[in-house]
Amino acid sequence: MKTIVHAQNVSKTFGATTAVDNVSFDIESGRIMGLIGPNGAGKTTLLKAVLGLTDCQGSLSVLGLDPFKQRKELMQHICFIADVAVLPSWIKVAQLLDFVESIHPRFSREKADQLLATTKILATSKVRELSKGMVTQLHLSIITAVDAKLLVLDEPTLGLDIIFRKDFYSNLLNDYFDGERTIIITTHQVEEIENLLTDVMFINDGRIVLNSNVDSLRDHFVELTASGENIEKARALGPFNEREVFGKSVLTFEGIEREKLSAFGGVRTPDIADLFVAKVKGASK
Amino acid sequence: MIGNQLALIRRELWEHRSLYVVPCVVAIVIVLVEITGQTAVSAFGKHIDMALLGATNIGVNERAAVISALMAVMSSLFVIEMWILTIFYSLDSLYAERKDKSILFWRSLPITDAETVISKLLTALVVIPLITLAVIAVTHLLVLLITSIWVGMRGANAWHLIWDAVPLVDNWAATFILLLALAIWLSPFVGWFLLVSSYTRRSPLLMAMLPIILLPMLERSILKSTLLFDALFVRSGKIPIYKDVDLEGLFDEKMFQIASADGISIVSMLDVGGFLASPGLWAGIIVCGLFTTAAIYVRRFRGES
Repeated sequence: MKTIVHAQNVSKTFGATTAVDNVSFDIESGRIMGLIGPNGAGKTTLLKAVLGLTDCQGSLSVLGLDPFKQRKELMQHICFIADVAVLPSWIKVAQLLDFVESIHPRFSREKADQLLATTKILATSKVRELSKGMVTQLHLSIITAVDAKLLVLDEPTLGLDIIFRKDFYSNLLNDYFDGERTIIITTHQVEEIENLLTDVMFINDGRIVLNSNVDSLRDHFVELTASGENIEKARALGPFNEREVFGKSVLTFEGIEREKLSAFGGVRTPDIADLFVAKVKGASK
Repeated sequence: MIGNQLALIRRELWEHRSLYVVPCVVAIVIVLVEITGQTAVSAFGKHIDMALLGATNIGVNERAAVISALMAVMSSLFVIEMWILTIFYSLDSLYAERKDKSILFWRSLPITDAETVISKLLTALVVIPLITLAVIAVTHLLVLLITSIWVGMRGANAWHLIWDAVPLVDNWAATFILLLALAIWLSPFVGWFLLVSSYTRRSPLLMAMLPIILLPMLERSILKSTLLFDALFVRSGKIPIYKDVDLEGLFDEKMFQIASADGISIVSMLDVGGFLASPGLWAGIIVCGLFTTAAIYVRRFRGES
């Protein structure tokens, strides 16, 4: 296991607002990290710092490089798709591939052509003639054809229909991910990527609320659905969040044995989305 | 590094097709005007034939002078077109990628901001003049060819009248030197346009032109001096590349005196050494370098937007 991203006390401020507030974390190779947070939580800023697109305070190293100062070297090993990093509308697909081929030492034209052959995208089309889903397919094909160590996806499927979204993630797993490459991904549609992730990091107000691998979430977090007098008994055990569903109370606990709770009602591991909401709401209380 | 530059410049030509389309349109217009003109004057059959006879009987140097003047007029139309194109290109070059939001895609590739901005500077200062030169040469050939056919149809000897006399290579060499020299001489403007293009959030043309027009006016009314005016406008008009030739004389009767003395050669009227040694040139290059560096930094540090 190699450390791909090492961040220590990283902050980024814009004037009076602090977008990223003193965060520290490590990402190992071969992981698929979900970076989850509400709008304006600082996810995109943090990713930009990792990509060397913005400078930051603190110590940040990606693949052993300083992302802001050594962006060119870094970009040989990193790819990213962001909903804001759109492909230029005037370019033809073939020109785009020619260009990336001529400037990217780790790009395989052959592989990109193979991947595109499985889609409806024509080499002679201009990007502006493609649907939004096809543009994302094109972008993913290019990136998959780059032998990169780290892939950063910032809301890659925003605005796509469900079929494109499902295809996107299955292509990502089948064509790109090989167990050694590393992926950092942010999305609002957490449910769709829940099964891909090996790690999750919750970020809120520029701070990391939770950083854990998915397997240990099961050991740490329990969701109890209780009703009647059991609710009071369960509350005594100190849940960090509580919500109501169909007249029953759902209480979320951290670091408690399941057996202790199962007497009060149904017990399960919370979804990442539910856990996220619980964590963020719990923190704001 | 050089490979990247070639790829980046090719990219500029894909994005800005106007860089070669516009000169071609000007060429087509010139050729059409020429054909129309020749058809129109053919109505004065007798006078034309007399003129052609006269042209046959003057010396080869005089004919060369007349044809060179004609070629120079065509070239100067292209120079005007080229500078309009250069202004619009350089103002758009770093603005369009922000407007269509593709900048983050370009920056996701292993290219430095310096390489990207320099490719745009090279496109403006070298590629555009080279394209213009190529189109000028083709236009010259087309116009001379069409004239030859027209002259031939009237029974005159086109080889003797035109091709034997015309100093094509000298003309093109001089055009080449002048286009590049002019580009380097005016490069501070290109640097300024690149900076505005990388910085402004809207209407780059307005943002670029306002300071150029307003600042000298302010200087004049507040400081009562004309330093900026001189630096911006007086300098621009006085490119120190011509030898001490009476250029205005070329357009009156002295043209024939100059021409008959030692044959017409525009290259011999240019003082490339003197141009390269002139402090004004290097001051301009430094100003261009400063603006370009600023443009690189703006592109690099503007992670916020």
